Amino acid sequence: MVQAIEVEPGENKAPVMASGHTFGSITDKVSAMVLTRPLTKGWIFGFAICFLILQWMLYAMCWLFFKGVGVWGVNIPIGWGFAIVNFVWWIGIGHAGTLISAILLLLRQSWRNSINRFAEAMTLFAVACAGMFPIFHLGRPWVFYWLFPYPNTMNYWPNFRSPLVWDVFAVSTYGTISLVFWFVGLIPDLATMRDHAEKKWIKTVYGMLALGWRNSTRHWSRYETAYLLLGGLATPLVLSVHTVVSFDFAIGIVPGWHTTIFPPYFVAGAIYSGFAMVLVLAIPIRKFYHLEDFITPRHLENSAMVMLATGWIVAYGYAFEAFMNWFGGDQYESYVRWNRIHGPYAPWYIALLMCNILIPQILWWRKVRLSNFWLFMISMDILIGMWLERFVIVVVSLHRDFLTSSFGMYYPTQFDWAIFIGTLGFFTACMFLFLRLLPAVPIFELRSLLPEAKAVEHE
Amino acid sequence: MKDEKIYGLMAEFVSPEAVVEAARRTYQAGYRKIDAYSPFPIEELSEAIGFHNNGVAPICLTGGLLGCIGGFMLQWWINTINYPVNIGGRPYNSWPAFIIVTFEMTILFGGLAAVAGMLMLNGLPQPYHPVFNVPQFSGVTRDRFFVLVFSTDPQYDPVETRRFLEGLSPHSIAEVPA
Amino acid sequence: MSPVSMEKLNLMAPPSTQIIERRSLTVGILFGIGALVLAFVETDKFFHAYLLAYMAWLGVSLGSMAFLMIHHLTGGGWGMVIRRPLEAAAKTTPLMAILFIPIIAGMKHIYFWLNPAAIANNPHLVELRHGYLSTSGFIFRAVAYLVIWIGLAWLLTRLSATQDQPPVRNLSPRFRVIAAPGLVIYAFTITFAVIDWVMSLSAPWISTIYGFIFIVGQCLSAMCFIVIIERILARHQPMSVILRSKDVHDHGKLMLTFLMLWAYFSYSQFLIIWAGNLPSEITWYSRRLYHGWHWVGLAMVIFHFAVPFCLLLSRPFKRNVYTLVWLAGWLMLMRYADLFWYIEANFNERFFVTISDVVLPIAMGGFWLWFFFRNLRQRPLLPPYALHARELVEAIHE
Repeated sequence: MVQAIEVEPGENKAPVMASGHTFGSITDKVSAMVLTRPLTKGWIFGFAICFLILQWMLYAMCWLFFKGVGVWGVNIPIGWGFAIVNFVWWIGIGHAGTLISAILLLLRQSWRNSINRFAEAMTLFAVACAGMFPIFHLGRPWVFYWLFPYPNTMNYWPNFRSPLVWDVFAVSTYGTISLVFWFVGLIPDLATMRDHAEKKWIKTVYGMLALGWRNSTRHWSRYETAYLLLGGLATPLVLSVHTVVSFDFAIGIVPGWHTTIFPPYFVAGAIYSGFAMVLVLAIPIRKFYHLEDFITPRHLENSAMVMLATGWIVAYGYAFEAFMNWFGGDQYESYVRWNRIHGPYAPWYIALLMCNILIPQILWWRKVRLSNFWLFMISMDILIGMWLERFVIVVVSLHRDFLTSSFGMYYPTQFDWAIFIGTLGFFTACMFLFLRLLPAVPIFELRSLLPEAKAVEHE
Repeated sequence: MKDEKIYGLMAEFVSPEAVVEAARRTYQAGYRKIDAYSPFPIEELSEAIGFHNNGVAPICLTGGLLGCIGGFMLQWWINTINYPVNIGGRPYNSWPAFIIVTFEMTILFGGLAAVAGMLMLNGLPQPYHPVFNVPQFSGVTRDRFFVLVFSTDPQYDPVETRRFLEGLSPHSIAEVPA
Repeated sequence: MSPVSMEKLNLMAPPSTQIIERRSLTVGILFGIGALVLAFVETDKFFHAYLLAYMAWLGVSLGSMAFLMIHHLTGGGWGMVIRRPLEAAAKTTPLMAILFIPIIAGMKHIYFWLNPAAIANNPHLVELRHGYLSTSGFIFRAVAYLVIWIGLAWLLTRLSATQDQPPVRNLSPRFRVIAAPGLVIYAFTITFAVIDWVMSLSAPWISTIYGFIFIVGQCLSAMCFIVIIERILARHQPMSVILRSKDVHDHGKLMLTFLMLWAYFSYSQFLIIWAGNLPSEITWYSRRLYHGWHWVGLAMVIFHFAVPFCLLLSRPFKRNVYTLVWLAGWLMLMRYADLFWYIEANFNERFFVTISDVVLPIAMGGFWLWFFFRNLRQRPLLPPYALHARELVEAIHE
């Protein structure tokens, strides 16, 4: 119990978990976050603010339903305004959750085990936020089910050559698999909650949710196989989702959209912003819930390195998009390149380069990677930068394309902003509820990280 | 001589090494209808009670293949037979475009099949189970490990089996009422 | 069950590698003479095949260097056992620099944009020809890329060589200082290099994912090559002791990963261009999907992706170096065929294979392998004073 876990000698890396814990202490500490911790003023205050912002969104949505999408700033030539920008931004944020839970599971990275639960919750809420936008953008959101192929009296089918239909399949599959993945991960911990709850009704609720899980070794064996298979399936899925999102743009022939690097570059950008969101959430959560033992500087530093790596893929994307456009010499593409730097949205583009490429380079310094304050600030910066990137891609390409006679400008209205900021409130309100009601750190996976648990393997 | 009202005999252990060793010895002593419980997955433990092939992977593969074939056939049937429309001069059977939805359906059905298969083989959801009647069993979600010999095991004998389990130096032994 | 100690292991490459080294040189010289004859008999075809062979072998060198840097960044036992073979392959970059000279000499036979008549009706190409694609610019940049790659390989191997002497040290942090910027530099330089050397063959056609396709292709070639080397070394000390099936499994998984990435990038490129169907872009594919070339394309889908993918899903197949090696060899051939489809279709409208296409990769491969084995035999197959290497050996019980 004295030695810490997975310290690489000579490298002074922080451990994945602080020393001194036992199977019991881990269980007690995490389950107490939900079961015995009283409602704090901070929680009530935070939740109330998010809930209020959520009401603002509901107000804007009511008005949107009543008047139609005309209350937004979208019009010809910019038919895709905030709705698509926010959709891509949110779904990208969700990707880090799946990346942490699935890809790092396949790579046997034990550091994932204490952050995967809330990262997966983050994925679910982000996908929920993302899903709202295209549905409202339909104009008649109540008939959204027309997007799915089902036999109907109108005798028509969706156009399967359209990336927007692929998007329906990709995002709904992603939402479903993320939910299942999250719930499967929760089952053993729900059983733990059931056994540790004091009140009868709480026991019953967790007991129902735990499906009668009893930690049988046969069950564990099937459970682990299923979980690993889900991880194996979710990994290509998460890549495919943002790939399909990028196809929404790249399949068309709009200058600035029709470029082959979009799939990997969108995926990298998604992971980039997703890890930024993970840090924005993890840094306060570990502080306020005293989880410094389980979410250690190692997690923060590794996330920072993932951001650095994906940030460079994004930079590579910018660089070669510009260079090859010049090399290819297409006049419309050249105009997009010029328009980004000199056009009316140039400040947005310059800000995007600053936020996404220039400022995050300070992550090369280890001191920055280990500082909670700087990591939090850089993560916020990347979240803003990635939002700007989607704005630039959507708006700058559309507002001036082939015909000068159809050039135009896009000005978001208060309803655009209300719904965007409202989803931030919705997202954080959901996170608050999640922290209150469910174990935010996977208890059983932490147990298996202890040296006592590993002793068996070396026999 | 088997007591109908007894589900089995349960021995409690406090460390993963002890439970793996106990499970191994129980299996070696000829008991076959046994189970073990631990607060986290231990691969060695399921091997110790002679459980090797858990059967989830084939279910997942079947689901994935069904999703793959079904997904492609759906698009192919719609676009070439039921509702052929010339869109942008593309062929009716635009297979390069159909790969995406085919892929998503493979993942969806494969993933759902894996989870459904896991729950089904585990017999979950199951609101009532006899092991929960043992008071100390709630420790299984904290830091306790258990080996259970079912009373349906041909070698099971209330006295002999208890003696055998006591020989494994457990923390406690309990009868599980059915 | 006694722990193996580093001191008791003979870490040098087995004597059989010396035989391979000599035979490789013989093959290289024999086929090299044949190639020289071909240079006079079918000059154009010779240079086309030369560029193809060069890109194929350069892929193994640079892919190995990329894996070496990935290993330094992520750690893990899978990289330690192959670190020295990777280094030996990365150190072939000076040879690749020498082998680039014929490309410069034969530029006129390879690059259509050097011929003023061929580009006269395309003002953009004329402009490029007098700016970016000028002969001196092309040569200057090629020298710069090669110098950068040689420098990176030198930095990585020099630091690693210090771990052949006591005391036991952990240099991971210092390796990371080279590897992290090194990977970025590699990604940018190789992309610029393939724009110059390969993509310009179909100028002004562009595809922004082109660099990524070459990067994953190079990594895939390198991992396949390393599996073959593992198989050659596996029966002898020290590899027979240090190579665990867990590591082979990891190498198999890496093959699978890069195979899937290759398929993903290639499919994305195809789908976007196919759906856009713009005259300036689709011509690249229409050239490769008619007149016999479509059979090569179809073969790529089946034999470069589908069949290897299904095989690599099997766990026992991936864990056994003696089965995995067959697929690795096959995939190296497929990598060559893929590059053939990319490069040769620019020169010939109709698909055919010339004698040069067969002779040149073998000739160049002979020299390449000779140089590789020479590098490999100079140093122990495991750096004996690297901390992680010691931990790896100590964990093994006989």
